[in-house]
Amino acid sequence: MRRRPGIGGLQNAAAARDQYRALGQNVAQIRTDLMKEQLATFKSQLEDFARKHKNDIRKNPAFRSQFHDMCTKVGVDPLASNKGFWAELLGIGDFYYELGVQIVDICLATRPHNGGLINLQELCNLLRRRRKNDREAVSEDDCLRAISKLKVLGNGFEVISVGKRKLVRSVPTELNKDHNEILELAQSQGFVTVDEVERRLSWTSGRAIDALDTLLDEGLAMIDDGHKDGIRRYWFPCVSSISTLVGADT
Amino acid sequence: MAGNWLEAVELTSSGRPVLLPSEIECSLLSAVDLECEDLPNFPNLKSGILTLTTHRLLWVSDSSSQGASSAIPLASISHIFSAKKSLKSIFASPRIRFQLSVSPDGRVSNSGSGSRSVVVTMVVRGKGADLDVFLTKFWDNWRGRAWETGNADVTSGSESVSGSTSSGLYTKEGTVRMVGVSGILRKEQEMWETTDKSLQDAFQDLNALMSKAKEMVMLAEKMRQKLLSGSTSQPGAAEDEELGSKQEMQDWLLSVGIISPVTKESAGALYHQQLSRQLADFVRLPLERAGGMINLIDIYCLFNRARGTELISPEDLLQACFLWEKFDVPVMLRKFDSGVMVIQNKSHSDEEIFARIKTLATKPDALRTGISASDAAITLGVAPGMAKEHLLTAESKGFLCRDISPDGFRFYINLFPEIDPNNVYLVKDYGVYDTWLKVASASR
Repeated sequence: MRRRPGIGGLQNAAAARDQYRALGQNVAQIRTDLMKEQLATFKSQLEDFARKHKNDIRKNPAFRSQFHDMCTKVGVDPLASNKGFWAELLGIGDFYYELGVQIVDICLATRPHNGGLINLQELCNLLRRRRKNDREAVSEDDCLRAISKLKVLGNGFEVISVGKRKLVRSVPTELNKDHNEILELAQSQGFVTVDEVERRLSWTSGRAIDALDTLLDEGLAMIDDGHKDGIRRYWFPCVSSISTLVGADT
Repeated sequence: MAGNWLEAVELTSSGRPVLLPSEIECSLLSAVDLECEDLPNFPNLKSGILTLTTHRLLWVSDSSSQGASSAIPLASISHIFSAKKSLKSIFASPRIRFQLSVSPDGRVSNSGSGSRSVVVTMVVRGKGADLDVFLTKFWDNWRGRAWETGNADVTSGSESVSGSTSSGLYTKEGTVRMVGVSGILRKEQEMWETTDKSLQDAFQDLNALMSKAKEMVMLAEKMRQKLLSGSTSQPGAAEDEELGSKQEMQDWLLSVGIISPVTKESAGALYHQQLSRQLADFVRLPLERAGGMINLIDIYCLFNRARGTELISPEDLLQACFLWEKFDVPVMLRKFDSGVMVIQNKSHSDEEIFARIKTLATKPDALRTGISASDAAITLGVAPGMAKEHLLTAESKGFLCRDISPDGFRFYINLFPEIDPNNVYLVKDYGVYDTWLKVASASR
């Protein structure tokens, strides 16, 4: 093809380029759509297989590792046991263990946002989303049961009640860095209020109350309800600026 | 020298063999001797753990501290004798015999084309091992010849993946024009149709999937890469969902896969012991990330995630942790008074913490007013609950003294060891005692 000179030729070339680009984008669009579709089929098939052929998959170590490979690559949770009659009745079988692993997984994933404290209801919702192909929805009771199975591994995981809500705490006191942040906050004036903690650290109220309660139990904080505005203050006599103050008085 | 006859196996810090890239562990037997009468210089391999993998037979000495280990590539086995059922075999320890081809100088050859053949006898002294099952697996793996396909597939697999990604057509507009648009579109469509078809074929039933497993793994990898890399320019409502699935995939990447999880089926009586070793190898990385201490329940989740469908129960995990005391592993289980259990590095443990507490307690201010749990928490960068625990341990070791006053529970450096029992009034002009004296008199 010979290139024609002049403005007309340039315009033609530009138009052709635009057309190619449009076509390219079109193809790209179709391609991603198709791939998504295929990925969805792939996923649902894998999930089906994980459920139906669980035992057969286990028997063959070489195939098992390949199956896991597929699952991890396309983002399928290979844990998909049905609850079944015996699990429901006696709590035996893998179902509750699987739930347990998935629950801890969710707690680990959300820890950066919530500091290891999650509403039971929210946890349940996330769990259901993860097991969306499951025929029977997971209830809060199932969650509680699965968590109780983890008790063997120490008290690092517990369900606590704050007000009417139930919260799941996945970080034990010994490893909880929230307390350090409160102490740091308290250093400036020697006390904090729930409001202040929530605002300054942008925490949910459950998280702040839980942390302050633990500090009370540990004997690091003291409650002061006697202030005029009626807001409870948590004093920290152990925070060094105050103790030097006391030291200077005597 | 025993080592030059058979290849040695690399062992992990907990004494488990390190497997080759696509090698998978299939079965374990305990208390196995390997004997060979044809070779005078055959090493003395008595009472070890025998691991059958898809590629090799691995023999690791029971007392793993010696680290004696050998590997026999399945490729070098030229024949496996079927078990003889005789009256004698009922009373003696069960044996499995197989023929190895070796080179003239008595080394096991990898190719299986050695000039000499020797017969090796495996004597299984361990009780409760199901030898028939083992023998079947042995045969299957030997006939499976995984070592041949493994290497070839790895290379060709990566080629095909990279090949298909570089065939992205509209990245360079020049190529589009040269090949012709309709041609590319047709090719594109063909590609999708074949993918569709292979997906359909593979998921017909389990056997079909097994035979197509490698292909499917590659397809999965391809899809993942495309979805993760591209489609950032996609506008519209699909964005949200897409972000979700992307997130999901990245989450999954976090789980480090254990390719050959120890199972009850593969390890039999050795289950807990091997599980314990595998766990010790596994926790190293998460522990490092968590700063030397991690909640046992977190590990339960991570470990199971890495194992895929081979879940272990919390009870098994605990058992595995208890067994660490018996092996030489760099990690330990620790239980707090509160009932919380954590895993920590042995090296991370007390010595370093005590040193830091001591430095803290000998600062001028601390000498005068002592330190509290929250002071220690801030300095050590750990939670107050944990800091208190450390202070109490330091006290029990004699580094600190406690003082209970209206100010609360405070700790001071322990000066009593500094005082000379023969001359209690002697004022030393060096050491901690001296520093304390100076600080104390200055504040007065």
